[in-house]
Amino acid sequence: MTAAKIIINEIKGYHRFVKFLIVLVSLGALASLVRFVFGLGVTTNLNDTFPWGLWISFDVVTAVPLAAGAFTLGAIVHCFHIKKLEPLVRPAIVTGFLGYSLVCVGLLLDLGQPQRCWHTMVYWNPHSPMFEVSMCIAAYTTVLFLEFLSPVCEKFGYHVPLRLLRTIEMPLVIAAASISTLHQSSLGTFFLIAVDKLHSLWYNPLLPLLFWVSAMCAGISIIIVEATMSHKWMGQPDESELLETLAKILPWVITAYLTLKLFSLFALTEGPLFNRPGLLVLFAVEMLGGVIAPLVMLMNGNVRENNRLRATAAWLVIAGVILNRFNVSMFGMEAPGTFYYPSFIESLVTIGIIAAHILFFVLIAKYFPIFEHHPETVDYSIPDNFHKTEKGHAVHGKVAGEA
Amino acid sequence: MSEMNQDFNKSKAFLIDMTKCTGCRGCQVACKQWNQLDAEKTEFFNGEGYQNPPLMSEHTFTRIKFRDYEKNGQNEFAFYKEMCMHCNEPACASVCPVGAFKKTKEGPVVYDAKRCIGCRFCMVACPFGVPKYEWSKALPLVRKCTGCYSRVKEGQKPACATTCVSAITYGDRGEMIKEANRRIATRPEKYLKKLYGAEEAGGTSVIYLTALPFDELGFKPVTKRPLPSYTWQALRLVPGIFLTVGSSLSLLSWFNHRKERIAKEEEQRKSGQAPKEES
Repeated sequence: MTAAKIIINEIKGYHRFVKFLIVLVSLGALASLVRFVFGLGVTTNLNDTFPWGLWISFDVVTAVPLAAGAFTLGAIVHCFHIKKLEPLVRPAIVTGFLGYSLVCVGLLLDLGQPQRCWHTMVYWNPHSPMFEVSMCIAAYTTVLFLEFLSPVCEKFGYHVPLRLLRTIEMPLVIAAASISTLHQSSLGTFFLIAVDKLHSLWYNPLLPLLFWVSAMCAGISIIIVEATMSHKWMGQPDESELLETLAKILPWVITAYLTLKLFSLFALTEGPLFNRPGLLVLFAVEMLGGVIAPLVMLMNGNVRENNRLRATAAWLVIAGVILNRFNVSMFGMEAPGTFYYPSFIESLVTIGIIAAHILFFVLIAKYFPIFEHHPETVDYSIPDNFHKTEKGHAVHGKVAGEA
Repeated sequence: MSEMNQDFNKSKAFLIDMTKCTGCRGCQVACKQWNQLDAEKTEFFNGEGYQNPPLMSEHTFTRIKFRDYEKNGQNEFAFYKEMCMHCNEPACASVCPVGAFKKTKEGPVVYDAKRCIGCRFCMVACPFGVPKYEWSKALPLVRKCTGCYSRVKEGQKPACATTCVSAITYGDRGEMIKEANRRIATRPEKYLKKLYGAEEAGGTSVIYLTALPFDELGFKPVTKRPLPSYTWQALRLVPGIFLTVGSSLSLLSWFNHRKERIAKEEEQRKSGQAPKEES
């Protein structure tokens, strides 16, 4: 029996949905191959008046806040020490790691000279938000990779690296939170330079702060949705009690966002607000559907306790953040009279990237202990000496992994 | 941004007097020749009026825009030379992650193709829509007017300024602004009393004089503030935010974990057992 045969047999046993995802990912890979062979001009609908399209708007500007669950939850659990939320951390870290890796893929696809991506590490320009974001994404992907190594080491029973990872865990969580603060907000700084291009409904000097706060809203909502879905579809343990706690934190963050947004809109915006009816509609949908509706829902205790309604509210927040990023980076940037829509290849690549995210998450959940992990198995206080981490933990983790 | 303390009055600038332009497009041809740019297949009425090519592109760094208008019941043409404005504090140089754009002390904003990674942020950032992309290539680069830096640094004038018989004057920026104001003062009935480029985007190395309102010619209204300052007001906070968030989270978690450790030790002392792991 060769390795290839084992893999093929394994894949044959997968659920139909997983096989469908594999097909989508392959199509996306094929489409990106086409893009690299024929170039951006032929395969995308980008042009000189609209140089950033779907790949920047979705694969980068939107995917980064959607991967914000890891840093938000990491900070909530480890720094604010709300320990009971611990079981949610690992899935969030896996989602974050996958999200960021795929952001890197999206960026590489969008670069005209992808073979030179290392230039950002060598030729520094600290005045550029893009430089800042690329440095942070590189650093944060590394941090998430290290955090992701824990379940991997547990799975294979590597005790020594596991102990090392445990030692650097707190610094990693803190680094994750501070780096994320920087690049989540710097994605907003990108558009501060588009002074006369981005419409005043979204352009204001607080854009970086708004991006950061809305990323936290997205991060918390993603965790709620993800836990609800993995409970429903993947037979994972029900975490609804923990999700209720998160759903209690979420309205506070949304309120902070709403306050900031209204303040910046009425006190800091300079241009006209009501001159583009199409954009006004998009803005209204974003604010009413993605901010105010979920806020009203989550203030109600019945909604927070109801699995279905809670997930619906979280979905609304996510949709609101997605629409916000598209409004800022795509719709609000289009000059009157121009219209950009993604080409077939562009769409195929983006669908492939989304499918890859779900596929890898399902596969990692299948082969690595990310859900079985519970706080009672591991002591998460800062190890003040090496004696505290005893072999018992690693063995315990391994047992959990094999379960 | 840019090399601070640079005296922009001493750097070179174009003074383009659109009232003297006859629309001969000699500057377009000279630019193509000096920069060895490919010809573009064009057709009449592809863009507006008789202008050709329809837009600036990877093959066309400068072009004359034609604008029809009516004067005393007669149809007339107005012209506008479109090119890189060579801003004093260029947005493209400020946003480029690898620093591929640079404002030279002579005046032109130059582009280092060897550094470029092709992110196109310069195209998003430029308020004048100048940088263009090689969409036809598999590994494309950005293309834009070089201000004929290769000529300027040897003490020569740019190709378009050399060719143009009347409309383009080239020299120290301070002198050019003085000259422009002198022309407005001597022929107030002929000129619009405004210079485009003196303050736009914090000042540019291309100064326009026209007879017609600027927006009618297709000049974009641009903020007077240097563009790099818009992003820098947020970016300069980065190190501070990093340290603040990092240290406050460290303190917070140290405090919370200490509280827990003390509670645990207390419990162990009470039960009188040797330190043992929780299970």
